[in-house]
Amino acid sequence: MKGAATLHGNAEVIDEPSLTSCSNERLPNMNPTPSQHGYHGCYLRVDLATGQAEHVGIEPDVLRRYLGGSGLGTFLLLRENGAATGPFAADAPLAFVFSPLVGSPLTTSAKFAVVSKGALTGRINDSLASSHFAIAGKMSGCDAIVLRSKARQPPLLVIDDGRVRLEPAGDLWGQTTDRAERRLRDRLGTAYQFALIGPAGEKRVRYATITHAGRHAGRGGSGAVLGAKNIKAVAVRGRQNCTWAHPDELVALARNISKKSMGAATAKYRELGTASNLLAFNRLHALPTRNFQQASFAGAAALAPERLSTTRAKTRQSCAACTIGCQHMYALGGSDRDNPGGVRLEYENLFALGPLCGVDDPDMVLRASQRCDQLGLDTISTGGTIAFAMECVDRGLLDEPWLRFGVGPALLRAIELIGARADLGDRLAEGSRRLAEQIGHDSIRFAPQVKGLEIPGYEPRTLQTMALGFAVGTRGADHNRSGAYEADFSGAVDRLQAGPEAAWHAIQTEDRAALIDSLILCKFLRGVFEDLYAESAEMLRLATGWDVTADELRTTAGRIVTAKKQFNILAGWQPGEDTLPERFLQDTLPEESRARLSASRLAELIASYNRQRGWTPEGWLNAETLQALKLEEE
Amino acid sequence: MPVTVEFFGIPRQRAGVSQTTATGTRLGEVLADLATRFPTLAQTCIDKERLRAGFIANLDGQRFISDPGTPLDSSDCLLILSLDAGG
Repeated sequence: MKGAATLHGNAEVIDEPSLTSCSNERLPNMNPTPSQHGYHGCYLRVDLATGQAEHVGIEPDVLRRYLGGSGLGTFLLLRENGAATGPFAADAPLAFVFSPLVGSPLTTSAKFAVVSKGALTGRINDSLASSHFAIAGKMSGCDAIVLRSKARQPPLLVIDDGRVRLEPAGDLWGQTTDRAERRLRDRLGTAYQFALIGPAGEKRVRYATITHAGRHAGRGGSGAVLGAKNIKAVAVRGRQNCTWAHPDELVALARNISKKSMGAATAKYRELGTASNLLAFNRLHALPTRNFQQASFAGAAALAPERLSTTRAKTRQSCAACTIGCQHMYALGGSDRDNPGGVRLEYENLFALGPLCGVDDPDMVLRASQRCDQLGLDTISTGGTIAFAMECVDRGLLDEPWLRFGVGPALLRAIELIGARADLGDRLAEGSRRLAEQIGHDSIRFAPQVKGLEIPGYEPRTLQTMALGFAVGTRGADHNRSGAYEADFSGAVDRLQAGPEAAWHAIQTEDRAALIDSLILCKFLRGVFEDLYAESAEMLRLATGWDVTADELRTTAGRIVTAKKQFNILAGWQPGEDTLPERFLQDTLPEESRARLSASRLAELIASYNRQRGWTPEGWLNAETLQALKLEEE
Repeated sequence: MPVTVEFFGIPRQRAGVSQTTATGTRLGEVLADLATRFPTLAQTCIDKERLRAGFIANLDGQRFISDPGTPLDSSDCLLILSLDAGG
């Protein structure tokens, strides 16, 4: 570790901690830089083996260079030497990271990032979630909580206004996410907010989530990393507000953005939710179906929200501090005492548990989504891994004849087995890349993953700028860190035969995502801004008092993306990882014969992307770029 | 000249139908015709001969278009979609 100014290392040393005695009563009110508006200026580092905690200062310059969320989390993981350890190693750091805008009146700002080495990828992984945990976590008096080492028994980590203690949590172990959160609320009261794992995280399913209030930090297996630390839940509360540099102007700006957020730019999310992508993607042959063997699904209409809205009850919810309200909850058929509010349906869980597995029964897809939520499973990786296994069964590579495309009960059975790591579920719990390595027979060519992370619901052959974004993504195939599909859906590129302009578009969308994920704001707000960088600079000026400009934020975004790459290189990244499975480079889709992306064409695009980033054509970093971005050489 | 038009997402909600035919030989004319026949659609999605921000047109499931002068013929199928994806 370097550059860390340990300001308060005076915690009591407890040689043999009991679960009820691992507290530190001397930590609160130790905000080292109270003059920095929008921040506490420190992170809380908790050693789970000893129960010790300390506040570690974060230099103001670091906050300005990395902002918060994904950016600050990447910095902290580098500082805490997270690239050198395996994701489940005792010494592996896992960070909950807040941001300068959390707690402000700005709509959608109540978000937090979870950053660690990815359980699926062994590369940087940052997953985001919304709601009150972010607000309560920041009010506990720090800008991030970094967990180190491993608890000896399954405990609950309680952070009470900066005081840290471990409590027994044996009664919570094995509980589903919804039941565990209800028990925690009964036990600690409504002033606490909780981030927790389900049975899948306990069993280190490599795509387990961390959940809060039904929302999930979902991708990459952060729940497995927390489970490996033996922590079922983190409970936070606090009373330490940050100050704002220009509070009256910030409130006025927040009102203006909130008003815009209720306009046409977000109507889709409010009225139909992201699930409305389904029919459009189907029509454009961009809907991955039957493990990416097709790009359209005959059963799409039956699953579409336009149909579901007319056949079953639906309600709508918002995250904390959000004026959009994109969460559409659909009732299951029959009585459902466990989920009276219905099942949250997003495009990604709909695609992954529906068309990708060939399932067109809405009740089966809703039940599968519900079980993933309860077990704490990332729906994209769950669906992707099961769909891959289904194709292996079809091809005679896996002797599990019950696991067939289109069979809803088989999908549900597979999810239960994964959550329990039982029988075939133990192999599925490793994700499609590791499963393919076990199965052999060149099945890796159709395992739907990049760097081990399953591909989301965007067919790479018909969305080729997105294909590039997937290939170069530092956390693997991902639509949240690379929004390159925006170019494919804009007319700015030929989405079926990508040209050289794809690299520039991939960088632009990736940089915008890096900024949004570090501020942190919801990406569904992006259509509200006319100039994201200029308007973000104004938000930061009002919150922090910095004289930050749009140009500075463009550099910041590039720095954050490059810092993630820096982490990956330290973790063993090699240029050959930046690619797509052979299926996407060799097989033609039945619906779109023109949509071809050869290996050589993809390699050219990747080299162009790397050069435009200021990296070597192969993707290595050079001293000049590191210096220009004010990144330290590691 | 009649052109087949398919609506997706919010445009479908506003139009109240999934598909229709509209008259015109270029994109702008077809949008103007749709605006006349579907006032609720126009209110949210169409500004004269252009789509409002947040919406886009696609020709035959292949090419995205925005120039009102883009020529269309009777064999074309025009898709009107919400622009933002994500989920």
